[in-house]
Amino acid sequence: MTAKDKPALPNATRRSILIGAVAGALAPTMATGASGGSAATAASGGSAGVTAAPESDSVHQRQPFYGEHQPGIVTPRPAAGLVASFDVLAQNRAGLERLFKTLTERTAFLMAGGTPPSLDPKFPAADSGILGPVVTPDNLTITTSLGASLFDDRFGLQGSRPRRLSRMTSFSNDALQEEFCHGDLLLQFCSNTPDTNIHALRDIVKNTPDSLLLRWKQEGSVPVRPPSPGKPKESARNFLGFRDGSANPDSGNAEMMDEIVWVQAGADEPAWTAGGSYQAVRLIRNFVERWDRTPLQEQQSIIGRDKASGAPFGGATEADVPNYAGDPQGKLTRLDAHIRLANPRDAEAQKHLILRRPFNYSNGVSKANQMDMGLLFIAYQADLERGFIAVQKRLSGEPLEEYIKPFGGGYFFALPGVRDENDYLGRALIEAAASSNTHS
Amino acid sequence: MKFKRQFALSLAALSASFAPAIAAVSPLDLVQPIADYKIYVQGKIDTLVKDTKAFTDAVKAGDLAKAKALYAPARVNYETIEPIAELFSDLDGAIDSRADDHEQKEKSADFTGFHRIEYGLFSQNTTDGLGPLADKLYADVTDLQKRVAGLTVPPEKAVDGAAGLLEEVASSKISGEEDRYSHTDLWDFQANIDGAQKIVALVEPLVSKEDPALIKTVNDNFATVDGILAKYKTADGFETYDKLSDADRKALAGPVTALAEDLSKLRGTLGLS
Repeated sequence: MTAKDKPALPNATRRSILIGAVAGALAPTMATGASGGSAATAASGGSAGVTAAPESDSVHQRQPFYGEHQPGIVTPRPAAGLVASFDVLAQNRAGLERLFKTLTERTAFLMAGGTPPSLDPKFPAADSGILGPVVTPDNLTITTSLGASLFDDRFGLQGSRPRRLSRMTSFSNDALQEEFCHGDLLLQFCSNTPDTNIHALRDIVKNTPDSLLLRWKQEGSVPVRPPSPGKPKESARNFLGFRDGSANPDSGNAEMMDEIVWVQAGADEPAWTAGGSYQAVRLIRNFVERWDRTPLQEQQSIIGRDKASGAPFGGATEADVPNYAGDPQGKLTRLDAHIRLANPRDAEAQKHLILRRPFNYSNGVSKANQMDMGLLFIAYQADLERGFIAVQKRLSGEPLEEYIKPFGGGYFFALPGVRDENDYLGRALIEAAASSNTHS
Repeated sequence: MKFKRQFALSLAALSASFAPAIAAVSPLDLVQPIADYKIYVQGKIDTLVKDTKAFTDAVKAGDLAKAKALYAPARVNYETIEPIAELFSDLDGAIDSRADDHEQKEKSADFTGFHRIEYGLFSQNTTDGLGPLADKLYADVTDLQKRVAGLTVPPEKAVDGAAGLLEEVASSKISGEEDRYSHTDLWDFQANIDGAQKIVALVEPLVSKEDPALIKTVNDNFATVDGILAKYKTADGFETYDKLSDADRKALAGPVTALAEDLSKLRGTLGLS
């Protein structure tokens, strides 16, 4: 240290002590009211302002839990998502029923928010505390779905498996890694902030120690946009920089959702599945360095849309429907363009519609020192084979494959909704299995 | 006669893929380089077929040492012309896929080709059970030879192949993931670089007219990469990947990434879409 530097140290130390004292004095004020706290923080400036919690009224947003269908499927997608896949450790059907009831009770509490029970501090606390002493709902939804592997002889569910539920198999461009695939049970968390999802996951893990074993998880997000009243909504962009979901069916249209998303009573499926939905989850790495080195017109012709506006070729806005009938040779939109293969916009394509609910993921750095990021793809449909599997088969060999590599995910069945406080997740399944085993 | 027909086809492909009036390079200027590139590719594939025969014969004869020695030299021919070989994605998967591309990894029944045999030779240290895989590999490279003979090389694919080869290096060679059982990654590394340099050399006179600075940077970076790789040359080929020092690995990363960036501009510079 030089002589010149010396006087700086005591000053700096004194200053940080002073700021610490100010922050300490302010703490009670901040706890009493959000607006007061915010004003005080702004006035104090310095390091207290840097570490003050970001504020938003949206933490009080709440989604309904009870209903014919589970939340988090047609619910508008918030900014943060997380999926966690588990092996079920329950020993028998009674154990599985207990797990379903615990999941129901935790989901109802976490989505509503509230104050966790306060325990004798000589014991571990009931809640991780990461959202503070009062849990804010923050628009949280938790959606429970089941993998094909759950329908084995452990719980006597062999006869109750949804007919189209299978173990995901590799498509031609896949490089599936076992440690990121499949699972007996999958939880999808969606909320305004990643911390709320993590809080919910930790709550459920803590409450199911003997019945769930975490297998893999993936977090994701979508970029937030400023509100644009009076203008049409825009789809969020993925990590390729393109709007993703432009052709998604309108999730506000209940009739359409009955057709595309929800298994209907009377379908050729076990009766208990009515009101549920098939869920396809895929972890798809994007080779973003390479993509960023690809000419813009090449990117656009691979996807089939204008990158800036999201409009199909020949259209002006994202919502415009491409006219493939008028372009049979693929002069305007290549025949192997992503959006054309995924949805050829003909009568046949109407049978293969799915409801997509993707997030972008970012996971650190690959062995080759490249960014490991891409898409946490989630899609719901009433018929998995006619939906995701048929669409993905059509996409096989598309030019986009050079830039993407699916490496994980699985197929699941999202349970029907919980009707009210007397109902629980999976009740119809448990009852169906019980009655079929009694009869046989 | 044959060349004339090929020439006409290439010309048709050229005019179809040209964006009008971006560059001063005329579509006709590219005809000769693309024809020359196809001759280069066919020469490499002829060698690939010959060397693969020697390699698979050694495997089938149960000569483990010889098979190990012939593994890397046989596949370098494939690596130099990968942009063209990859146009046939079914064969590319059968010949050059890695265990990662298969859900059951090395145990997958559909895992075939060079890396599956590499796994047997170098990881399991035996030729046992590799006979049918050797036959299939030879049949697949022979099929590739036939298909490439009948191929009209799309100019934009050929030119972009230089960038594609560098992307290969950047995403999988530099990490030592390609030849994970034999650790002969530096052979493939050099082959990818050689294949890219060939493409650049063929279009260099045209690119020089448009952007002489680009060509200079590209050639300087090639020289840097070649210089570092030369340090690892042995009498028979290259040292194993684990011999690559951390400092050299990092010294390679910069020029490789810069080459990937610069070569991604080749198509645009030549007015190709």
